[in-house]
Amino acid sequence: MIDVQWYLLLSAGLFCIGLFGVLTRRNALIFLMSVELMLNAANINLIAFSQRFGHVDGQVFALFGMALAAAEVAIGLGIILVLYRNFGDIDVTAPTTMRW
Amino acid sequence: MRRPRLAEDLNPVAGLAAVALFGVLAAVFLSAEFAFQNPGFSADAAITEGIGYALFDLVGQSDLATEGFLFAFITIAIVLDAALDGAIMLARRDDEEQTLPDGGERR
Amino acid sequence: MTGAFDLVPAIAVLPLVSFVIALFAGKYMPKKGALAGIAATAGSLILSLWVALTVATGDGGYNETLYTFVEGTGTFSLELGVLIDPLSALMLVIVSLISLLVHVFSLGYMNDEGETGLPRYYAGLGLFTFSMLAFVFASNILMAFMFFELVGLCSYLLIGFWFREEGPPSAAKKAFLVTRFGDYFFLVGVVAIFAMFPATAGRFAGEGSFPAAAQAAIESGQTFYGFEAQTAITMAGLLVLGGVMGKSAQFPLHTWLPDAMEGPTPVSALIHAATMVAAGVFLVARMYGFYALSPTALGIIAFVGGFTALFAATMGVVKQELKQVLAYSTISQYGYMMLALGGGGYVAAVFHLTTHAVFKALLFLGAGSVIIAMHHNENMWDMGGLKDRMPVTYWTFLAGSLALAGIFPFAGFWSKDEVLFEVLIHGLGDSPLLLGGYAMGLLAVFFTGFYTFRMVFLTFHGEPRSDVAEDPEPVRWNVKGPLAVLGALAVVLGAINMVPIKKLTGAKIDYLHQWLDMAPEGFLTSVEHYAGKTGLLHDYAGYTKGYLAGETGTVLIGAAISLGLALAGVLLAYRLYNVPRPEEHTDRLGRAKTILMHNYYQDEYQVWLATGVTLPVAKAADTFDQGIVDGVVNGISSVSRFSGRGLRRLQTGVVSNYAALLTLGLVLLVAAFGLMGGWF
Repeated sequence: MIDVQWYLLLSAGLFCIGLFGVLTRRNALIFLMSVELMLNAANINLIAFSQRFGHVDGQVFALFGMALAAAEVAIGLGIILVLYRNFGDIDVTAPTTMRW
Repeated sequence: MRRPRLAEDLNPVAGLAAVALFGVLAAVFLSAEFAFQNPGFSADAAITEGIGYALFDLVGQSDLATEGFLFAFITIAIVLDAALDGAIMLARRDDEEQTLPDGGERR
Repeated sequence: MTGAFDLVPAIAVLPLVSFVIALFAGKYMPKKGALAGIAATAGSLILSLWVALTVATGDGGYNETLYTFVEGTGTFSLELGVLIDPLSALMLVIVSLISLLVHVFSLGYMNDEGETGLPRYYAGLGLFTFSMLAFVFASNILMAFMFFELVGLCSYLLIGFWFREEGPPSAAKKAFLVTRFGDYFFLVGVVAIFAMFPATAGRFAGEGSFPAAAQAAIESGQTFYGFEAQTAITMAGLLVLGGVMGKSAQFPLHTWLPDAMEGPTPVSALIHAATMVAAGVFLVARMYGFYALSPTALGIIAFVGGFTALFAATMGVVKQELKQVLAYSTISQYGYMMLALGGGGYVAAVFHLTTHAVFKALLFLGAGSVIIAMHHNENMWDMGGLKDRMPVTYWTFLAGSLALAGIFPFAGFWSKDEVLFEVLIHGLGDSPLLLGGYAMGLLAVFFTGFYTFRMVFLTFHGEPRSDVAEDPEPVRWNVKGPLAVLGALAVVLGAINMVPIKKLTGAKIDYLHQWLDMAPEGFLTSVEHYAGKTGLLHDYAGYTKGYLAGETGTVLIGAAISLGLALAGVLLAYRLYNVPRPEEHTDRLGRAKTILMHNYYQDEYQVWLATGVTLPVAKAADTFDQGIVDGVVNGISSVSRFSGRGLRRLQTGVVSNYAALLTLGLVLLVAAFGLMGGWF
């Protein structure tokens, strides 16, 4: 068996790649894709531990996670649509009205 | 269509925070000691079946399922439904004319 | 039957009741509250006479605490009490008598002249009478201070009675502020006395009184805050003297009294002649056991008194209005009383206080009668020839003037003569500086005689100088009655203490001296205790008596000199002004007259002190307060505002920035936990 820490490392790496995308990308759709990456990294973590302990709960949680990710994307795309309507651009750095 | 290009409008400074986080997490995970053993699943365990039984609260039917997730399953179904409705509501224009199902417009 | 002493608080409460009645029900009453006031002061007079009778028939005195505000354990207490000894009994009678006569006179001066706002007037008179009477029987210095302030308030209310005109409210403010300035020092003195002798609770009389404690402190060599006992006592006495000088209009706090003549004449008679200004002198007499321990304080009192007597008398010489002459005369005569107190003549001062109350009130009421007749024109140069047209007023006014000038055998002669005699003999003894005060007092006698009779001749003699003087308005019984009573008293009151005759013939007719000596032994307020062979004046202030030609010789010489000067002044006035058409002879004084008319520029000086000295200091203090004190507070708040303005720029509105900050926070948190928890 592969030691669980390598799975954790993989999951951490995927999470940080997703985080990198959230922090640096300006296109809102790419932003959403990065968020998806982060969610999937968490799923990998759950499944890794499920495999380690022999419980199936982790995999069930991962299924739920995927469903929630889908729900979140649906709403997110709706928000991007409204964002485009109000600001004319899907650049996430464009809406800065809620500021000091 | 052009071939994909490397994105050039990135703000690299913020990305350093992500890299730093990876460094910290890696340090934590690689130096952690997992004290207990790694039982894993037996080679012939029916995992997918077990997931199914767990989802429907049929805990006794499989020796892998440990608790019932029916309530969560139903809740997720409701959440997905709500998300769909939310997406439709967000996408609707406030001033738009009611589109008919066959594509025509109301007179 | 309750004793007289149990009813003493009622003496003051009766006028308080009339105050309340006049204030709330005055406008429904026929005389607008006058009858309530007359009834109340008559009741007070009867009770005061009964109290005096009880003191005279050997019951001695009464010194009780009636109510304690604060019971101090191991420190001072604050209380209200009653002290009746011969001095306060005498003063109670004087105050209630003059108040009663003024109330009756007001019926003629205010009611019959159709004045408006009378309920307020009678309420003010009632409140004043209450405060003055309570001040007189106050048993401790704190209670005395409270009522001292209250009489000042009533003076303000009554001077400013005609507040819709320009002069009266301004004069009322001036009176209040000048006396308040002195009262500030009085308050500091009261606090000093409480701090130095806490166990006495500021009481005036008895073994537990502060004069007794002060005497014990000098005996035992106790020091107060690093000062010797006698020095500390001098300082406390001088502080209290500040209030006395303000209230009794001594130099330099005399400037308010001439302006106070803006009030109605009965008010001037009651407050600014006979009673309120007497409060200061009465206070010194009340705590004479304290002042007698300090020759420095006594010397200062004598000097201030003597100087004021001369100073005010010179200013009275050139005045043209009737009440102004009387105002300066009041200042001058209170100077005599202070001179007497400082010079060791306790009985003389109280005697002069009594006679002055009578004849000055008489003169003011007489002036009021003249003012009614002249339709409120006070200028003496528009009068003249009134003696034939107003006989009662003339004869009583003449009696009062003869008393004021100190002509034998009227009341003022005996009292003024005794004042000068006491100062002379103590000056000839071991305190030669008192002779300076004596000289000033003696010179003032000449001026007093002169200005008094200048006033009489200009007002009543000669030919009428205006139409109103030819046909003056007649006055009624409510004006003539009090004048007659006071006129009779001014003639005979001298008989209560004819010391020269006693010294010449040995007859025991110095009744006032005996009366004041009747104080019970335990009270320590008898004349013997103050001025006897081993009294306080001899033992602590070092006053001894020296004679020019033996005791009787000194008496005769002193009497002759003062009578001679008074007659000289009267004669000069007679020559200059008792002619059909007198001229303004004072014009011959030239520059001197200008200075006198401007009152030695004291008013301008005091205004300059306020605007040129106090105002810049106040402005500097204000700048300090706003700049530094407020500035520090504002500075502290500006730190938070400035840092807030800087910190809020973190909210850029860009989501990626927020995410970056979150990530950074997470990194730091995990790293910190890991390091502290030893994960690595």
